[in-house]
Amino acid sequence: MNFWEYLSSRRELLTFETWQHASMVFQCVVAALLIGVLIGLAVYRSETLSKFATSTAGVVFTVPSLALLGLLITPLGLGVAPSVVALTLYSLLPIVRNTIVGLAGVDRTLVDAARGIGMNRGRILLRVELPLAWPVILTGVRVATQLAMGIGAIAAYVSGPGLGEQIFSGLARLGGANSINMTLAGTLGIVILALIFDGCLMLIGRLTTPRGIRA
Amino acid sequence: MSAPPREPSAAAPEGAAATPDGSDLTTRSAVAARGSLHAPTARSWRALLEPVLIVAIGAGWMVYVRNTHLDSIAARVLTLDYVTRKTWEHVELTVVATLIVLVIAIPLGVLLSRSFARPATPFVLAVANIGQSAPAIGVVVLLAVIFGIGFWTAIVALVAYGVLPALRNTMVGLQQVDPTLTDAGRGIGMSATRVLTRVELPLATPVILAGIRTTLVLMVGTASIASFISGGGLGDLVTTGVSTQRTPVLLTGCILIALLALLVDWVGGMAARYLAPKGL
Repeated sequence: MNFWEYLSSRRELLTFETWQHASMVFQCVVAALLIGVLIGLAVYRSETLSKFATSTAGVVFTVPSLALLGLLITPLGLGVAPSVVALTLYSLLPIVRNTIVGLAGVDRTLVDAARGIGMNRGRILLRVELPLAWPVILTGVRVATQLAMGIGAIAAYVSGPGLGEQIFSGLARLGGANSINMTLAGTLGIVILALIFDGCLMLIGRLTTPRGIRA
Repeated sequence: MSAPPREPSAAAPEGAAATPDGSDLTTRSAVAARGSLHAPTARSWRALLEPVLIVAIGAGWMVYVRNTHLDSIAARVLTLDYVTRKTWEHVELTVVATLIVLVIAIPLGVLLSRSFARPATPFVLAVANIGQSAPAIGVVVLLAVIFGIGFWTAIVALVAYGVLPALRNTMVGLQQVDPTLTDAGRGIGMSATRVLTRVELPLATPVILAGIRTTLVLMVGTASIASFISGGGLGDLVTTGVSTQRTPVLLTGCILIALLALLVDWVGGMAARYLAPKGL
């Protein structure tokens, strides 16, 4: 069976796993975006807290994904739960860091000007600071998405959903007839998904960057 | 597990840590490396605190786990001898793969940043970006299908996975050298080779070293996957722990991998601090 025959014979399964993978990554990154921006907003005014948040995220980020997934098996068991927690944790790091960097990079004179024309704290945040920091935050989201795509594949080891299943089936049948087809389908599927997501995020970036700071 | 203290200035929020072109993942430690160059030396004892803490946690865990009630399967795996051997295998995989990556990536990066190769740069960077989105486990298993399982296949997989980010960092590092400085070098009569060795490479060193640090940490993580294809290393403890359902074995594997990654990150940080040319 060559690769194309394999793809067409398993079309339904592959479509389902691709969809699962995409939906898992999407949901985890959205969750990480919400949590990450909230953490960023909570700490960015204090340099000490910012440093603490960034370095804690850095330590989590240094821990290899297989180790973190394994550590999560003990409290959460196998399946969707450890995969989702691990993916969200890894996605948090670039988002938290970029939220802090983006908000800290907003020109203080602009904030002063906003206060001068009578905006209150909440309006300054929503109308001035967050829009100006948004491109940097979105870059963090792009990095997080790419990361989550790859780690999502390893999540199949703890019985997580998605295309990693194909890769691990290929590994289990090493030397067997379909092993290369399975591995290739899983790997290429993830690469293609990653490229599609990245393209979409780039488009979102174009559409949502305020006109005044568009390059 | 408590968070060991990082270098005090590593997380400075200011600076161009995140450029909107997506390159911040690899340049993150570049900023960290530069920041720490200006760290006051009086705080250097804090830098030593981190590895001591990491080793202490690892040793403490081993003492603890050996004193809990282990059944015969777990006890057979968790001997000091076996765990040390696995740790050493992990270090071996990491170091050998990183050295090969550097031998390939740095000369290639230098070559690709020469003026005659400039038109190819965006193309190579694009390929590097796409290649980075390939999942590590996929690359590892694909190579095992092609070359069979074992240590050297694991090395090939690690190198294939690590070479792109290292190449990218070398190229980015050389690209960001101020062109007026290379011009000045040419102006005082240096040959192209001397400009490269005396001006460009020294100025690119912080970024290249940051890339090496990222590569090292990446290799520790990917080496743990290598155990799926019989490459050895601490991943073996994880897979044994999962397949025999022995939580102490699984936890030992995970904790030691995590600690090793943090230790290697510290070594990379120290290298970035002390090998970078003075005066930058």
